[in-house]
Amino acid sequence: MKRLYPIPFAFKVPIVVALLMIVVAAGISKIVLQKIGETQTRHIEQLTGAYLDGLSTALLPPLMRRDAWEAFDALDRARQLYSGVHALDVLAILPDGKVLAAADPIAHPVLSLAPPTARPPVSSAGPLEADAGQAWIHREIKSEGIAIGRIAALIDVSAYIAERHEAELALLVVNAALTLVLAGLGYFFVRRMLAPMNVLSSAFADAQVGRPEIIAEDRLPPPDTEGGRLLRGYNRMVAAIEERETLRRRLGEEERIAVLGKLASSMAHEVNNPLGGMFNALAMIRRYGDDAARREGAANLIERGLASIRNIVRAALVQWRAGDSGAPLTRSDIDDLRYIAQAEADLRRVRLDWSVALDSPEIPIPAQYVRQVVLNLLLNALAATPESGTVSFFCEAGDGAFVLEVRDEGPGMPQDARARLVEGSASPSGSGLGLWTVSRIVAMAGGGIEVENSRGTAVYVRLPFAAGEVIDAKSAA
Amino acid sequence: MRPHAELRTRRAVLISAAAAIAAPAIAAPTPVTMGLTPVFLDSDIQLLAQIESYLARHLKRPVQLVQRRTYQEITALLIAGAIDTAWICGLPFVRNRHRLQLVAVPAYRGEPTYKAYLIVRKDDPSTELARLSGQVHAFSDPDSNSGYLVTRALLALEGRTPESFFSKTFFTYGHRNVIRAVSSGLAQSGSVDGYVWDVLSEIQPGLTAATRILRMSEPLGFPPIAAPSQPRDRGAVAEVRSALLRMSDDPRGREILASLRLDGFVAARPALFDGIAGLLQVAERVE
Repeated sequence: MKRLYPIPFAFKVPIVVALLMIVVAAGISKIVLQKIGETQTRHIEQLTGAYLDGLSTALLPPLMRRDAWEAFDALDRARQLYSGVHALDVLAILPDGKVLAAADPIAHPVLSLAPPTARPPVSSAGPLEADAGQAWIHREIKSEGIAIGRIAALIDVSAYIAERHEAELALLVVNAALTLVLAGLGYFFVRRMLAPMNVLSSAFADAQVGRPEIIAEDRLPPPDTEGGRLLRGYNRMVAAIEERETLRRRLGEEERIAVLGKLASSMAHEVNNPLGGMFNALAMIRRYGDDAARREGAANLIERGLASIRNIVRAALVQWRAGDSGAPLTRSDIDDLRYIAQAEADLRRVRLDWSVALDSPEIPIPAQYVRQVVLNLLLNALAATPESGTVSFFCEAGDGAFVLEVRDEGPGMPQDARARLVEGSASPSGSGLGLWTVSRIVAMAGGGIEVENSRGTAVYVRLPFAAGEVIDAKSAA
Repeated sequence: MRPHAELRTRRAVLISAAAAIAAPAIAAPTPVTMGLTPVFLDSDIQLLAQIESYLARHLKRPVQLVQRRTYQEITALLIAGAIDTAWICGLPFVRNRHRLQLVAVPAYRGEPTYKAYLIVRKDDPSTELARLSGQVHAFSDPDSNSGYLVTRALLALEGRTPESFFSKTFFTYGHRNVIRAVSSGLAQSGSVDGYVWDVLSEIQPGLTAATRILRMSEPLGFPPIAAPSQPRDRGAVAEVRSALLRMSDDPRGREILASLRLDGFVAARPALFDGIAGLLQVAERVE
């Protein structure tokens, strides 16, 4: 069951304190009043005991002789003798219940029946239990075991009762004041103690609807207190969150810029790659333009180069929209690559060793990716191999995958380049985007890359057949 | 109140003084004893000392005052000759007329007589004795004339006794106590010595203020100082009589008389108490 109005701590504690105080005060008051009552009862008993003793001695002879005067005389003298006992009424009563003499004979005439109130009570309630402030006390007078009468005295105990009431009132006032003071102190201290909690609680509440905010310095308790440590801890946490958020934003921004740069340079690279071959073809046309076969070959090369550029540009325009270049790999794609690579190799005076083992005319892998991967790897190998060195290329389509190998005779792939290639880690300088692109494409296609450094560098790439599955070119970008 | 110790001390002083003056061979003189009842005022130690001193001075021998609670005790001592003289009431004198002789009688307001009062509370509407029937009555002493006999005789005239007329009677053994009993309401009425009531209303008005006199008796013989008819020491009786009769001539004696509100002591014949004797006769007719 949910409470309608949850009571805050600042009220709960004073209420609990007040309740405890009330319980304690009630207990103490009860004990004190009981003690006062006991003391008073003892005092009254002593006083009335002495009084009744004296009266009994004086009244024994007149009661025996039924001498009204002597009994009265004794009672009358006792009035002055025992002024400490406020006797309102004293009766010397004969065994038959008649008054022999009373201190006030007009109220209780000689030989009148004693009033019922003056009879001894069946239960012996203490004199202080009297509510009217008066109480009857009794004393049986016996002579040699035979009852010869009794004394009944109405004593005024109002002074005692008043004393007790005063004590009661004093206890009540003092305890009420104490309870109020303690409850007030409880409220004050709990408010003080809980102040950091309230600040923290409102800070959390604010954080739920907006960003967590640092708590202002002037609202912080001293640092050596629990509250101070708590709120400072909260502030440190908020600061750490903000710092991380800032860092994340900056990193995200940087990455976005890096990707944009990579894309741009990659595009430029892809555009640039066929250009060398096309220039060669153009030169060939100029030189051997008369030879129809050569002209035709060169023209085809230019056409393919342009087609490649068109593809790249189109890809850039449509952001490598899937399906546009989903054409499977053909033998001619590999030949194109050899053509481009040969042109570059010639420029660098590097020998190109080319070996292709493909049985079927179409390999179920997007040609575009293979072209990008092979071209990047070949260009990289050619660049790494010194003059007169050899770059060898081998590929085959077998057991559900297309496998290729590019081997150079360079100084070996640097560690960071290798990391870019194998693990796809970003380059801090933004260079070497070719290897990074290879890595991304292979990863996208679910393939694997291995690099072997022994007398140059050998890179093995395995691309699984895309069983109808289309690689999302967009994520590769 | 027990003055004996003091009196004995005083006597001892007197004896030793006398012994010092007289030759050691001569025995100390026997003290003259005088019995007192609460017949007049409640015992006043100073007054008693004054009386003792006055008598001792006039008798030139020690005097011992003897007090008892009741008239009867003093009367018995007197008749037995255990004391030389005693201030008794008229009633015991009348009853023991043949065994007692009069020494002197106080004169009060010029006469050796006084009256008995029947008193009630001031707010009591009763106007006559008959209205007091069935009430509680306080007597002074069964041997007192004013404090018992007068009322008893009055009732006897109606053929009643105090026991049958009143619901309850009691003796207070003192006129002063009768006044206390009535004013407190313990008794609705009381029989009291008129002389005592008068003097108390003068010197202690608070005591008598709550009472009023319902009936006064005719003058009766004042309580006399008596001696046994055959005293053991005739000289002492004569000396006491002489000292009392001359009291009004002596300054110290006058002081005593002033305290007692008496004029003096006079010699009287037993016939003074015939009135009391008549009352006794009436009273004894109804037993």
